[in-house]
Amino acid sequence: MRNKIKVFRAMHDLTQENLALLIGVNRQTILAIEKGKYVPSLDLAFRIARHFGVPIEEVFIYEEEPAEQGK
Amino acid sequence: MKKNTFYLIIGCIAILLVGLFWYSDVIRQPLLIEVAFIVAVAVIYLIRRQVTDLIEDERDVKITEQAVLRTMQIFWVVFCAFSIGAVMQLLRPPPIPRGFKLEPPAILPELLSPRLIGFVQLGLLCLMIFLYVGFRIYYAGKYGGWETDEE
Repeated sequence: MRNKIKVFRAMHDLTQENLALLIGVNRQTILAIEKGKYVPSLDLAFRIARHFGVPIEEVFIYEEEPAEQGK
Repeated sequence: MKKNTFYLIIGCIAILLVGLFWYSDVIRQPLLIEVAFIVAVAVIYLIRRQVTDLIEDERDVKITEQAVLRTMQIFWVVFCAFSIGAVMQLLRPPPIPRGFKLEPPAILPELLSPRLIGFVQLGLLCLMIFLYVGFRIYYAGKYGGWETDEE
């Protein structure tokens, strides 16, 4: 799952800390989502998208895992 | 209440519990430390609700869930295996009838005294805490840990 949170943050002039406070999560959570280490729940994903005023698919891009070679 | 104040209170409670543990041993009253331990945990949970700058979001919950799950998967096997052995030793199962072909040893070797069983169980509980902390560190790292990248 890729996401454009960093881009939207830059557009809205928000730091990770600010966005985290507005959404009601820790800064580490925003950082983990941006780095793709944590996939947020649907609820949190919708909250982030709604905060930026865009549809969820504009912020989060679903990508299927590449199939393992040899299978 | 601030997060740091909460941690300070936890430290004070822990020191108090160690003192009570010692005192209950001096007066030979284990009920004292047992009750004190339950009260201390209840107090910590109550105080935790007063902390204002401690945000527990879904990532924290996931880390905790995974750490608890893995800890319990290991702990219950080790604890049960030891406890079953300890209970067997305490109960002293009746001797096998004479007609039985496989003669067991006349006296079962006593590996642990009942007194030591308690110590080992306490040690296993401490091991559980270390296991939990270890798993928490591992899963916190896995889910984006303590990186400091900003902007």
